Amino acid sequence: MFNQAKPSRGQFVVGGAAGAAVAAFSSVNVIAAPMKKVVIGLDVPQTGPYSDQGQDQLRAYKLAIEEINAKGGVMGMQIEASVGDDQTKAPVAVENARRMIERDGAVMITGGSSSATAVAVSGLCQEKKTIFMATLTHSNATTDESCHYHTFRRYNNAYMSAHAMAKTLLTKYGTGKWFHITADYTWGHSVYESLTEVLEPKGAKTIKNVLLPLGTTDFSSALSQAQAAKPDVLVITEFGKDMVNAVNQAAQFGLTKSTKILVPLADEYMAKGAGDNFDNVVTTAPFYWQYHAAKYPAAKKFVDAFMKRYGAPPSNGAECAYTNIYQWKEGVERSGSLDPKKFIEKMEGHKFTATKEPEYWRASDHQGINSCLVLEGVPVKDRANPYAFAKVLEVHDGESVSIPAASSKCKIESA
Amino acid sequence: MEAGPFVRRTTRENEDTTIDAILSQLPGQLLDGFIRGLVYVAIALGLTIVFGMLRLVNFAHGAFYAIGAYVGLVVAEKLGLAAGLIAAPIAVAFFAVVFDRILLRRFYSKEPTSQILVTFGVAIVVQETLRLIFGGTTRSFPIPAALAGSFNLGFTQYPTYRLLFAIGIVLLIVAVYLFIERTDYGLIVRAGIRDRTMVQLLGGNVKLASTIIFALGASLAGLVGAAASPIYSVDPNTGFSFLIPSFVVVVIGGLGSFWGAVLGGLLVGELQSVATLALPAASDVIIYIAMAIVLLVKPSGLLGESEMIRG
Repeated sequence: MFNQAKPSRGQFVVGGAAGAAVAAFSSVNVIAAPMKKVVIGLDVPQTGPYSDQGQDQLRAYKLAIEEINAKGGVMGMQIEASVGDDQTKAPVAVENARRMIERDGAVMITGGSSSATAVAVSGLCQEKKTIFMATLTHSNATTDESCHYHTFRRYNNAYMSAHAMAKTLLTKYGTGKWFHITADYTWGHSVYESLTEVLEPKGAKTIKNVLLPLGTTDFSSALSQAQAAKPDVLVITEFGKDMVNAVNQAAQFGLTKSTKILVPLADEYMAKGAGDNFDNVVTTAPFYWQYHAAKYPAAKKFVDAFMKRYGAPPSNGAECAYTNIYQWKEGVERSGSLDPKKFIEKMEGHKFTATKEPEYWRASDHQGINSCLVLEGVPVKDRANPYAFAKVLEVHDGESVSIPAASSKCKIESA
Repeated sequence: MEAGPFVRRTTRENEDTTIDAILSQLPGQLLDGFIRGLVYVAIALGLTIVFGMLRLVNFAHGAFYAIGAYVGLVVAEKLGLAAGLIAAPIAVAFFAVVFDRILLRRFYSKEPTSQILVTFGVAIVVQETLRLIFGGTTRSFPIPAALAGSFNLGFTQYPTYRLLFAIGIVLLIVAVYLFIERTDYGLIVRAGIRDRTMVQLLGGNVKLASTIIFALGASLAGLVGAAASPIYSVDPNTGFSFLIPSFVVVVIGGLGSFWGAVLGGLLVGELQSVATLALPAASDVIIYIAMAIVLLVKPSGLLGESEMIRG
């Protein structure tokens, strides 16, 4: 069922077993009518700093595809996945996507984890006139200045997080001296800009922003600067494994005790890795399994199925991956064809309710307008399981925190 | 400039980037660079000794670090950090001896390209085996509570564990130095670096010394891997992320040179740390620039012997 775009390394075994399964099935199909297939590309990091996130999205993709195929597929076609490891690197992600489209005939690419890869793949998909359902990408750029006609991004963006957190930040963190450690690429820049745009007019003083490359393992020099600067707030705009290292090392420098820590975006795996150092830290997420499963039956069904299959709840990126597959399936079925233009017409402005609060796809920039949660980390002893890392402080309606359509820099193509 | 919520600003008027602000942070930053450099030294030392003695370019050195980190993690979770620090170098040394006897020995006299290919291949096998066993998820071992705080040095607060880690590495460097300089094996090793064939002709057991040196280099990486896992998290790719900087260190210091590795490691650590203070975005690339400059000015590295002597 799962083709490997790159049949090497760890996935070889999985690919081989899946290949054998396909062979077994197709021999049955010789007797019955041959099953029609549609290929999609899953382009996620299975190695590199964001591999925890990529692997969890892959689990969600597989779950959604298996569910859909078991119920007859997409318009009678079985979904076949071409999987690639983007290594958390934009050039690799683009090469994977190109191979999926050109060699495997993928009609839709989905993936992300790093906004650098998402923006790059989005550009390729525009050139190739192939649908790109971006998953975990939080930089404003993806649907703002770098938006594309063929790209849809459902995940929250930096602007939404900053505006959702604004009130909490001012009451809980205050307007003192803010020190930033920021991942040096589109996502980090985007979060930094969005946060300072919200905070500085209220009186917060930015004393320094240390930009460090994606994949930094040792944050000690930035942290010892932060220690010398004695800020009131330390903002750690790092993601995946980088965030885990940064927060844990901040604790070693005593900064989690002397300073308030803010992590603008986090997920279950990061909070698990940071353990007690994530206690009391404010963050945002578009989905939180514990909260949404208790509130929405559709979320509970997804979370239960995911836990049953994988023994752990889905991270927020996995939820986006799962819903993206269903959104694509339903869009294809509404348009009655695999033609991207017809699909996009049926997606723009489409309102739906999936695993969380009601949402829609904004036509002007293809941003998913959906809720944004403000969360606060809880100590490990208060977690029912290692992934139950937070309590929900606020739930913001997507509309109220999104970039206003009027001030969007997105100039979307007409085809 | 356009108004509205998205004015892209290139200068941060509030940021304190004056020379005074930078200078006031310099002592803390230099200490950090020194300690960071010691980590590089510890990893590069094994690499350079193995190259010096065996003329072997070992791309599997990072894999030794990763194996040490995982063995340390597993043992530490059950029996505590001290047990992890003992188990890791032993396990890695054992692995290295088996690897050396079964595979690597056949490549000692081959050209560097074959050595790079075979050790790189083993590194990938190790990485993927670790992924099969432990999964791809990032793991870390918490610092024991007694060592978790930070220590006031007057000019800066520095994490206690990192300070102890640094002291441990200094002791390790001294121990390795004494082993090479003061023991009979060390004598064979040093002679072997000069002229392998002559040592064999004089009846020195170069084969045994080779195995010991290889195991020593590997266990150094394994020990550092285990000791560093409470500071850095561990995942199957960890080995590769430490391999590249340690090669840079060895190239800057001079391939095969003991003090070259020490000098190169400290230099790379300080460069990165000071760059993070003055020009953070360049903190990654600066070590490669330094390497390029060294290669242009002194191709054999700062303390490396020239090709003439080595040949």
